Amino acid sequence: MHPPTLSRREMLARTGGGFGMLALASMLEAAQNPFAPRAPMQVGGRAKSIIWIFTNGGPSQVDTWDYKPELARRDGQTLEGFDPKTGFFPGSVGGLMKSPFGFRQYGQSGTWCSDLFPKTSMHVDKMCFIHSCWTGSNNHSPALFMMNTGATRMGYPCVGSWVTYGLGGESDSLPSFVVMSDPLNRGLPKGSAANWGAGFLPSVFQGTWLKPSGAPIDNLAVPASLTPQRQRAQLDLMARLNRQALAGSAVESELNARIESFELAYRMQTAAPEAFAIKDEPEHIRKLYGVDEKHCGHFATQCLTARRMVERGVRFIQIYSGGMENQQSWDGHRDILGNHSGFAAESDQPVAALISDLEQRGLLDQTLVIWGGEFGRLPIAQKGAQPGRDHNPHAFTIWMCGGGVRGGHHHGESDEIGFKAVLDRVSVHDLHATILAAAGLDHERLTFKFQGLDQRLTGVENPKVVKQVFA
Amino acid sequence: MRILFQLLVAGSALAANLPSDHAKRMERGLRLFDDEVASTLKQHCLKCHGGEKVKSDFDLTTREDLLRGGSHGAAVVPFDSKGSLIMALVRHEKESNMPDGSPKLPEAVIAKLAAWIDDGAPYSSPLIAGKKPKKDPGVVTEEDRQWWAFQPLKKVQAKSIDELLLKNAKGMTFAPPAEKSVLVRRLYLDLTGLPPPVDADAMELPALVDRLLASPQHGERWARHWLDVARYAESTGFEQDYDRPFAFHYRDFVIRALNEDMPYDQFVKWQLAGDEYEPKNPQALAATGFLGAGVFPSQITANEVERTRYDAMDDMLSTTGNAMLGLTIGCARCHDNKYDPIPTADYYAMLSTFTTTTRMNVDIHRDGRVTSAVTTMDAKKNTPVVKDATRMMICAEGYDPIVMHTQGGPFFDKTFLLKRGSTDMKDREATQGFLQVLSRPQDFKRWQWRPPEGSKSSGRRRTLSHWITDVDHGAGALLARVIVNRLWQHHFGTGLVPTPNDFGKTGTPCTQPELLDWLAGRLIDGGWKLKPIHRLILNSRAWQQSSARDAAKEAADPANGLFMRFVPCRLEAEAIRDSMLAVSGRLDETLFGPGTRDENSRRRSIYFNIKRSQLIGSLVAFDLPEPLVSQGARPTTTVAPQALILMNSPQARSWAEGLAARLQAAGDGQGQITLAYQLCFHRNPSAAELDAGLAFLKSGASPADYCQVLLSLNEFVYVN
Repeated sequence: MHPPTLSRREMLARTGGGFGMLALASMLEAAQNPFAPRAPMQVGGRAKSIIWIFTNGGPSQVDTWDYKPELARRDGQTLEGFDPKTGFFPGSVGGLMKSPFGFRQYGQSGTWCSDLFPKTSMHVDKMCFIHSCWTGSNNHSPALFMMNTGATRMGYPCVGSWVTYGLGGESDSLPSFVVMSDPLNRGLPKGSAANWGAGFLPSVFQGTWLKPSGAPIDNLAVPASLTPQRQRAQLDLMARLNRQALAGSAVESELNARIESFELAYRMQTAAPEAFAIKDEPEHIRKLYGVDEKHCGHFATQCLTARRMVERGVRFIQIYSGGMENQQSWDGHRDILGNHSGFAAESDQPVAALISDLEQRGLLDQTLVIWGGEFGRLPIAQKGAQPGRDHNPHAFTIWMCGGGVRGGHHHGESDEIGFKAVLDRVSVHDLHATILAAAGLDHERLTFKFQGLDQRLTGVENPKVVKQVFA
Repeated sequence: MRILFQLLVAGSALAANLPSDHAKRMERGLRLFDDEVASTLKQHCLKCHGGEKVKSDFDLTTREDLLRGGSHGAAVVPFDSKGSLIMALVRHEKESNMPDGSPKLPEAVIAKLAAWIDDGAPYSSPLIAGKKPKKDPGVVTEEDRQWWAFQPLKKVQAKSIDELLLKNAKGMTFAPPAEKSVLVRRLYLDLTGLPPPVDADAMELPALVDRLLASPQHGERWARHWLDVARYAESTGFEQDYDRPFAFHYRDFVIRALNEDMPYDQFVKWQLAGDEYEPKNPQALAATGFLGAGVFPSQITANEVERTRYDAMDDMLSTTGNAMLGLTIGCARCHDNKYDPIPTADYYAMLSTFTTTTRMNVDIHRDGRVTSAVTTMDAKKNTPVVKDATRMMICAEGYDPIVMHTQGGPFFDKTFLLKRGSTDMKDREATQGFLQVLSRPQDFKRWQWRPPEGSKSSGRRRTLSHWITDVDHGAGALLARVIVNRLWQHHFGTGLVPTPNDFGKTGTPCTQPELLDWLAGRLIDGGWKLKPIHRLILNSRAWQQSSARDAAKEAADPANGLFMRFVPCRLEAEAIRDSMLAVSGRLDETLFGPGTRDENSRRRSIYFNIKRSQLIGSLVAFDLPEPLVSQGARPTTTVAPQALILMNSPQARSWAEGLAARLQAAGDGQGQITLAYQLCFHRNPSAAELDAGLAFLKSGASPADYCQVLLSLNEFVYVN
């Protein structure tokens, strides 16, 4: 990943980044700038953009996409040999508990889906399910960090940072990696910004968090004490004075990049708000997503924003479904029925609409949509007045759609009650290798030198791309 | 698991497990090897494990390599096929199934493999003819000690920095000296992070160097460099990212220590073990905040308690290694460091230093007593009440540990060697020791400190501090090299070793080894005081060179490793903000104390409260690093959000207004523009600049509009 002739400092000084890797491409020879839009490494899929619907808190696989009739048959029985430390509450271990949701088959593939997602399930023949995911932690923030950065400890670069590091950006007026969190005041995912941090990668690759209320990006508006005309005059004077001082400077290219960055910022002031202008969308699109529906309008707005971002060349978009934990997110310790019903109702129509909309615009083929959280939930009950389910690191399901994945395909299996992944197990590192491959990146070659080592997202354990997910 | 370890750790353990008929069995095994097993291994395994690749770090070319195992631990236990991981993999009982990506081997072949292992897994020859076993990275050799950074300091005869640089300059000479006014601005920004006052040129440069080194702003500027290295923040990180409201004393300690020119060896000793040196001295206690500044989860499940504790100790050790020794010790947590001679055994020996060290809040009472903090809450304000005492977060032993939401205790009484860093794979208990490669000889007693009778401390951290500062027998020479390199780096933009946190084999080699050792020697001979080194550097011709472009030198020495020119560099985030505040006339110069996260604060940026989940946005945009691990050098990026801050943030606008107000005293437009240039750039405007400014002001723009332009110019944020 290192260009032959530029020092890291020069390289960084010359890039845009963060805000869309605002690559200042006009000034650069593409071959010398590793952060300018780049051709993928040609290893797998054809996704140019990735939208990750992060179902925060850990949705239950056996109540969503991993149909387990055997669990219903063994409802109420004790799970022999169960280690009470598997979940978070060792003192609330109940018996096996069947799903409170009905399941039925959808599509040509005959995929079994729970009644939680009647609209999203209409797309099963485009979706590829991985039922054999497992992770290393039974606790939210380590598991969130694991799912986002490949390490349970804080401080490593997340998938979105790696992808934008690898591919650069294609928008000259928007960040190339954005994150949307819960807009209903239910909090950020645990560990908050560390989930979209750039870790040891240059900070330009960190995710831009779009604030859920007020202006989504800081400092985009001209201050009240100025006018746009006066600001334009300021920039003209600035450029003139800066250019006069350029001659003979030993860091002319850095200084030039800085002049350019002001022009870029000026353009962003109009371009970015335009990208967020959901109100410009026609009525039938707003209806499709459910923008004006009370129960799902907030998530519909975020999904529709994601589509607008994809259209404008944003590389990586992460939307968190749910807030911090417990009843604020998919973390259904109590009342799994009520908890999952609520979050599914918020997201089902918007997610289904997003897939339809991307498809009808011809964007689905080049956009990978991922649905999944940090771990799964146990097939046994967490005891309580309204039973819930505790954390389960041993098995969970995620699905992908678009970007060249194989529709209607099911990869891997959990055991007959959905407790542990047993067949074709997929670690988080395998999953990351696969996501990178979907974007055309080779996880073994996508490296960054830090603390003397060629660091990579997928660690040292030789994870494998799940090739079966690609059509 | 016990057996695996014995095999891995030493050959002697192997001998202890030999069956009585081993000689006979080995003989039988050799026949198996020659008849069938060798070809099986060559055909199905060698390509990925020693031939074309060494996957999972497992090589089976030679018996020695085979028995060493790989990243998943031991693969083969001689005489015990059932206990051999390789058999579980080829039998498809465990993942990843082997051979990878091929069908399962026939049962007969698997049976032969098992029989061969039960017969001791002997080799008659390597699978690749002539191949020798890899060097065991767990053993530190004389050859390892030859790496320059591990060598004792060379005695270098020289009179000055300039003499040594010119000696290596390949015929080049220094660039001419920069103009006085340029040097004065460079000096102020370098030593204090603030622009010079208009009349600063009146003093001679050496006197100005002394004056600025003596100013309190010097510590505020240079402490920030150290805080990057110390991954300093004032919150826990992780889930709730709780505030550490009493952690700021460490930041104040660093500022004070630099201002007082505390000898660097003492600076290091106190950060590792201040409480064991001077248990009643608040500054010595505050210094231990270094160990406690890292992240720590606030919600820990039962099966994560132990791993979390090892993570916390690792954070202390890794940061010590990076910050003080320029070494990545943390790599050896899971496996012997492949590049530097840091075996896993050394890692755990050092890690055990911190076995009983935790974060704790103490109250330092007016009468000098130090006690565990007893929290009584003010019910109305929901804040702790501290009466007649200073509350301070330290990282030490003997007081009540800070406890998070955890399903376990704050620490364990023993530290074990862990295989692959996993708490599920414990080997023997680790006893304290240090890096073999930096111990001459390996003589622990030389450094060992036993705490006095009645002390609640283990003495281990002070023992570590003895080793790390021991120039003749311990790590002291490297310690000195690393810090003088950091000083050089912040004066020139690049260190003599361009990778300041990595003096090992994966770092960039030192460009001026003699100069580095000469400076390190001067530091030690001068009683480890840093200010004399600053003086040496700042009064050198090298530092005072002009930064004008010299195409020939750039072509000959693009990275400027010869230092025959001065390369302009952009100011860091804090210095940019502080400079804007300073020229606005609104800077509040109050020293020390708790910080704030209010961006409208008028204090210097080092006094921002650093909460990991809510870093100050305007600083992050200008490359403030995330305080998660030690950061030796910041990148310098140029991105649009920086421009947006200068164009649109209320702070930038308000400081421009402040500057505009200051200019009013300077009379007409020409006078105002001239003063503005003197304040911002420490020079007078050219005729063209004056004309441009006057025309702009006449066009209907306000003086604040104009000032905002000046604060945004390249010249304002670059040091020439």
